Amino acid sequence: MEDRLNKIINKQQKQLSEPDIKSTEEVMQLVGFIVSDEEYAIPMLNIQEIIKPIEYTRVPSVPDYVLGVFNLRGNVIPLIDLRRKFSLDVSKQSEDARYIVMKGQNSIAGFVIDRLTEAIRIRKDRIDPAPETLHKDKGMIYGIGKRDDSILTILRVESLLKRDF
Amino acid sequence: MEDIQEILEDFLVEAFELIDQIDQDLVELESNPEDLELLNRIFRVAHTVKGSSSFLNFDVLTKLTHHMEDVLNKARRAELSITPDVMDVVLESIDMMKALLHGIKDYGNDVDVGIDIEDICNRLIAISEGDEIPTTPSESKAKEETKEEVKEETKQEDEVDVSKLSDDEVEAEIERLLKARKEEDRKRKEAKKQEEPAATSKQASTPKDLAPKAPAPRANQDSTPAKKGAGAVEQTIRVEVKRLDDLMNLIGELVLGKNRLIKIYDDVEERYEGEQFLEELNQVVSSISIVTTDLQIAVMKTRMLPIAKVFNKFPRMVRDLSRELGKAIELEISGEETELDKSIVEEIGDPLVHIIRNSCDHGVEDPEAREMANKPEKGLIELKAYNEGNHIVIEITDDGKGLDADTLRVKALEKGMISEREADAMSDKEAYGLIFKPGFSMAKQVTNVSGRGVGMDVVRTNIEKLNGIIDVDSEFGKGTVIKLKIPLTLAIIQSLLVGAQEEYYAIPLASVLETVRVPVDDIYTIDGKNVLRLRDEVLSLVRLSDVFGVKQVFEGGDTTYVVIIGLAESKLGVIVDTLVGQEEIVIKSMGEYLQGIEGIAGATIRGDGRVTLIIDVAALMEMAKEIKVDIKASINDGTSSKTKPSDYKVLVVDDSKMDRNIMMKSMEPLGVTPIEATNGVEALNIMKSGEHNIDAVLIDIEMPRMDGYTLAGEIRKYSKYKNLPLIAVTSRTSKSDRLRGVEVGMTEYITKPYSPEYLESVVRKNLKLPE
Repeated sequence: MEDRLNKIINKQQKQLSEPDIKSTEEVMQLVGFIVSDEEYAIPMLNIQEIIKPIEYTRVPSVPDYVLGVFNLRGNVIPLIDLRRKFSLDVSKQSEDARYIVMKGQNSIAGFVIDRLTEAIRIRKDRIDPAPETLHKDKGMIYGIGKRDDSILTILRVESLLKRDF
Repeated sequence: MEDIQEILEDFLVEAFELIDQIDQDLVELESNPEDLELLNRIFRVAHTVKGSSSFLNFDVLTKLTHHMEDVLNKARRAELSITPDVMDVVLESIDMMKALLHGIKDYGNDVDVGIDIEDICNRLIAISEGDEIPTTPSESKAKEETKEEVKEETKQEDEVDVSKLSDDEVEAEIERLLKARKEEDRKRKEAKKQEEPAATSKQASTPKDLAPKAPAPRANQDSTPAKKGAGAVEQTIRVEVKRLDDLMNLIGELVLGKNRLIKIYDDVEERYEGEQFLEELNQVVSSISIVTTDLQIAVMKTRMLPIAKVFNKFPRMVRDLSRELGKAIELEISGEETELDKSIVEEIGDPLVHIIRNSCDHGVEDPEAREMANKPEKGLIELKAYNEGNHIVIEITDDGKGLDADTLRVKALEKGMISEREADAMSDKEAYGLIFKPGFSMAKQVTNVSGRGVGMDVVRTNIEKLNGIIDVDSEFGKGTVIKLKIPLTLAIIQSLLVGAQEEYYAIPLASVLETVRVPVDDIYTIDGKNVLRLRDEVLSLVRLSDVFGVKQVFEGGDTTYVVIIGLAESKLGVIVDTLVGQEEIVIKSMGEYLQGIEGIAGATIRGDGRVTLIIDVAALMEMAKEIKVDIKASINDGTSSKTKPSDYKVLVVDDSKMDRNIMMKSMEPLGVTPIEATNGVEALNIMKSGEHNIDAVLIDIEMPRMDGYTLAGEIRKYSKYKNLPLIAVTSRTSKSDRLRGVEVGMTEYITKPYSPEYLESVVRKNLKLPE
């Protein structure tokens, strides 16, 4: 009995001390979307839900990319316009626009995007770290995913949810 | 006598909880004798029980815990190692303590249970004295002796020990004081009893200070049957605050749901007037709304604590202060049974401490000065709490020297806090408000009681945080009254909903003093500041839409609404465009991301599901100082910039292309710019997008997706379109159709077929174009 227990404990410890042994083969699940004309993706696990645009209330004394707050089934959630946040062309909201509600460690916010594309599965070894030159985004980019026919900008949800004003 | 019973119950509940803890800890300690954290925890338990029991006059228990404390104190300072032998004695004493507590629970005192603690005490003393360090045995004796001696001793020891010893020092002092006080009081009480036997009952209901409580348990317990005491203890349950908070949050959701239900019912009632099911729906809605309100009150009540929790510590504080300052001061407390939400009780303590300290230090004079002023030698501070509507008022009154408005003005001028002009314009009441300014102090010298000019500023910030109001009144030479008005609860508040252009904001009703409607001509500009003369007061004015940068979409009329807000001691007039009404709102946080936005205290969800922001009145007042807009000029400035007919835009809504063309043809002679929409939804989107500045709308009634009536109703929901001409153009000619048109807010009703000239003239008239 004792031996068996020890074996299990050893095994667990081994797993603890040698993490991510298979990480190169691990698959990341992402959700892709379009902001202005560019395609971005975020990890699926960071998404609480995706909803159709609803009315929001403007909040004063905030940067213009913070559109305001909206009511998500009784919770008051900030709404951030990714086009403005990324200084992209702000055209009119299309029929396909959605709010992606993302949650991080202890904050939550809705982000306006122009269109959803698809759910993406990508192997971790096909994700390159963000190029150093992309300094100005201050770590907003998690990495660049290489796909057969295109490349994908994967965003870091934690830094999207970080207040920078 | 009830409060004593309550204190006793609290003590027992707490003590038993602590004992449960101590048992576990002691067992752990035996296997892990070096764990300082554990030792400290056990020491604190003994210490707490000792403190409370001496307060409640349980001498036997006090003595036992006192000796336990000695041993444990040495152990945690590593002057004594915990050997199993020592542990045995400690455990035995814990058991004894438990037995004593059970005795108290059953009999109401610690004597009747008949436990002899002499033996165990002697053993505890032996342990503590059988120590290697020779100076320590005197320590336990020193406690019983005077403060000064203890101090002398501690000087020789290192710093850590001083801080530890001061605990005991305080403890010893409390004991000594209590004993002295008890004696004093017993004598006084006896004297009083002889003089006026009737007065005793009165005194019981309004205890004058802590002291009468101290000797009370004995008397009380003797008369109370043991069974009753035991039963009462079990009638309370301790619940984690978090659970109550969760419950409160859920109730908050329910209140919002209720608001929403009522709103929906109103809408339904309008549409299906006279229908059978309405009555049933009405019954359900009203019963749910009543139950929700009751539930809210019930849950709020579970969170309520008597303010006595805070008040109880003041008698001692005043006593100490009066000794320290060499003044004779009596504290009279009343209304300590008044209940307040737990979170507020926690916040209110500090401000009260500062106010009372101030009253003692600056308010009440020296005995000599009092004699000169023909006042009784003993100064009196009254601490009073009572309910007033949805608020609780705490009043602190002293019969001291009062505030001198002129001296305050001079002092503030000296310190450069106000200009000479401001000083002249200042009313006495405003001058009293100066005492709350940071850095302001009237004390000639800084004592360790007060005089740093910090205390009252703390009071103001704390009270503002609670959405409370401070009111100071004083008569020079007679005394000062400080009134704190605080809302009963923080989670659900009454608010005044106001509109600034298209946006709505909620102002906590506690901060709203009044609302007035004033003609624009009554607003004056002085030194670039907008002011309003209201009765005999001059108020600063600010437009809400200026503070929050609200987009200007329509102009106000000749009169405007002003909401007068007051917080602590200052006032401000806020100009709003609409007053929506009073509503009960639930404060919700806007999350980590939007925390601490200037001027916004939080958000709430309204009956229609929209989010409305709640104004942080204190911040708003600060922000208002930065706003420099000439309100009057900007109101009068708002004249139309349209010069030629093509600047006017008319929205033509009809699903038939031919009909739209006919209408546009008819308007051609006017030269206005037509914009087309094929149904109500499209039209509404055009209006909402704000891309075009629409001046009139021609609406067909029969349309797919959204008909003309609904469209008109939707458009009218926007206050900027309140006066927009809506012209129905339809073949529906019946009287009821016309009436429906009027109801939804149509300005004109043109029936098909019509002559082009007629349509032209109607549009011209509504756009106020020249012939």
